[in-house]
Formats: sequence, C-alpha cells, structure tokens
Amino acid sequence: MFKSKLGTVGLGVVIGLVLVLVIWQVFTQDYTYQGSLIDPPVPAADFDLTDQHGQTFRLSDQHGKVVLIFFGYTHCPDVCPVTLSEFKQIKSKLGNQVDDISFVFITVDPERDTLEKLGDHLANFDAGFIGLSGDRSSLEEVWMSFGVYQAKQETGSAAGYLVDHTARVYAIDVDGNWRLTYPFGMESDKLFQGVRHLIQEG
Amino acid sequence: MNGKYKLRPYLIRLGIVLAVSVLIVFAFNEISYRIQKDEHDRAPETVSLVIPEGTAASIENDEDVPTIPSEMVFVLGDVLEVENQDNVSHQLGPIWVPPNSTASLVMERANKFAYSCSFQTSRYLNLDVRQPTTVGTRFTGLALAAPTLTTLVFLYSLLVFPVDKVKKQ
Repeated sequence: MFKSKLGTVGLGVVIGLVLVLVIWQVFTQDYTYQGSLIDPPVPAADFDLTDQHGQTFRLSDQHGKVVLIFFGYTHCPDVCPVTLSEFKQIKSKLGNQVDDISFVFITVDPERDTLEKLGDHLANFDAGFIGLSGDRSSLEEVWMSFGVYQAKQETGSAAGYLVDHTARVYAIDVDGNWRLTYPFGMESDKLFQGVRHLIQEG
Repeated sequence: MNGKYKLRPYLIRLGIVLAVSVLIVFAFNEISYRIQKDEHDRAPETVSLVIPEGTAASIENDEDVPTIPSEMVFVLGDVLEVENQDNVSHQLGPIWVPPNSTASLVMERANKFAYSCSFQTSRYLNLDVRQPTTVGTRFTGLALAAPTLTTLVFLYSLLVFPVDKVKKQ
C-alpha cells in the first residue's frame, strides 16, 4: 500500500518535472527573426532629409526607437500602397508600444513627390507616418547607402512615368543599427513580430 | 462454431502478411533511399558565402568572381549567411548586406529561385532549395505502402492458399 502511494507520488513528480522542462524550453527559446538578419548589427548610415511638415529629419535623432524605412513614391500603383497598408496594420497591432517606433517613407521620385503631396498621400494611411524628401543629390546619397535601386520607366500613359525601385523594408534597431530587411511580400504578421522583438530588445 | 473462431485463421494470416509487408517495404524504402541519397540530402545547416573585397569593381568590369558559384543548392531550413567584405552594399534577392557586415536568411520554401544578385556578372544567382528526405518522409512512405502491399498479398494468398484448404492439409 505504502509502496504504491510512493510510486504514484514519484510518477507525479517526474511528470511535473518534465512539464516544467517543456515549458522552460518553450519560453527560453531564442526568437528567430524572419527576413534577412544583419548579424552582427552595423550602424546605419545617417542622413538628413525633410519631412512632410518641412522639418528636418535626422536618422540619428531616432535613437531609442525602432525605425522602419521604405523607399517608394506616391504615384506607385502597387508595391508602395501595399507596404504602407502593412505599416498601418503593424502600427495598429503595436498598442502602447507605438511610441517606440517610427514609420518612414522616403521618396524615390522627388520631382513629383512634393512635401505637400507626400503628406496628403501618407495621411490616407496614417497621418503619423513620416514622409521624407529632399533634393535629388541628397536623396541619391541615401539611396546609395541603403543600396536602393530606382529608375524611371516611361509608360506613355496619361498617369505619367513609373519608377522601378527596391521594395524591401529596412528595420533599424533602437541603437541606430541596420538589423533586418524584409522583402516585399513578407506577411505583415512576421514583420510585426520582428518589430515587436526589436522594441523589446531595446 | 463461433464467428470469432471462424475469423481467427484469417486474422492470424493478416497479421503475418502485415508483418512481412512492413519488413519488405521498409527494406525497399531504405535501399532506394541509400541508392538515391545525394550530398544535399542532409539535415539543415548554415551555408556561408563570402563576397570578397573589390567584387563590385570586378562586376563593373565584367569580370567573374571565381569564389562565387552561379548556382547553389540548399535544403529546407538551411541558413544562407552572406559575408560582405566589399566596401559597397550587396544584395541577393531578399538578402541585403551592408559593406563589411554579414546578413543571413533562413530557407523556408522549397523551390528553384533565380534571384537578382549584385555580385554576379550575370546579375542572377540560382538557388535550388530542396525538401530533405527526413525520418518523417521515410515513415510516411512506409505508412502508405505497407497497408497497400498487405491488402494485395493477403487477397492473393487467399486465392492461392484458401484458409479451409490449408486447415484440411
């Protein structure tokens, strides 16, 4: 009788220990970032551009915040609106962490994307998004440092030319490092999870 | 006679046929696996690629970079790690690597990809991501083939050696 009780207690203890170990494993597993991870992180190239309100935006001023950067243009028919919609989804999911992140849209079409147009366009998605432009030579420096390709494509349509451009999203961590890039088409939930982890790491 | 006892010889034969079928299928599976197994049929690992200094200049001059292959084969779950020793950023499809840094990407989908690549003279690099043959794959093969073989052999055995005949002998 005593032996059988002892056996039951022993079995319970073993099952309990196994459960604790499993739970411990699940919660202490390293998070694996989706997208392309830059490891070790390297300092992002700093830049000064002008936002839609006419204020100077300096990347290094964003230290302490995660920065998501996308290069696009307001006349873009496909990739840019999709990415901005994803930014909007991510922002809505972040809850009270929203103050720890900046969503930045840098134009690849400075001739047509005036500050006013940038502001109006971004307001269609979220007025809190930051739209940046500048003169072509300043922008070219930024494009080059971020490895951004852009080329005008004449279409002959009344809507004007299109711009072929790099469509990846760059995630800069709270220390101002290039940390992750996400290709176009990556599920917004994966972006959201990555961003949340970057904020939590900070 | 009780129905339970009538069924008994059939069940015994079915059990024997099942055991033999599992053994045969397992042997065939393993032999085919060993014969067809190639070097890429392995557990996921980290595959490194180094972009040497001066690559962008070589590409600009239409010179090949001998250390970089034009096609790479991966298995699902591999991590492609690209180390950029050049002084400009480089890209390979979804991977962007700033100068003098390393970026990595987990291969999550089995497919053949032709990625735009800034460190190839052709501007493209082919990546072949394959589904590795795991223990699970082999078990699935066994689970699908063994019942089929069992059914066929069992029915065949009933035709050739009917249970009643065997009992009389």
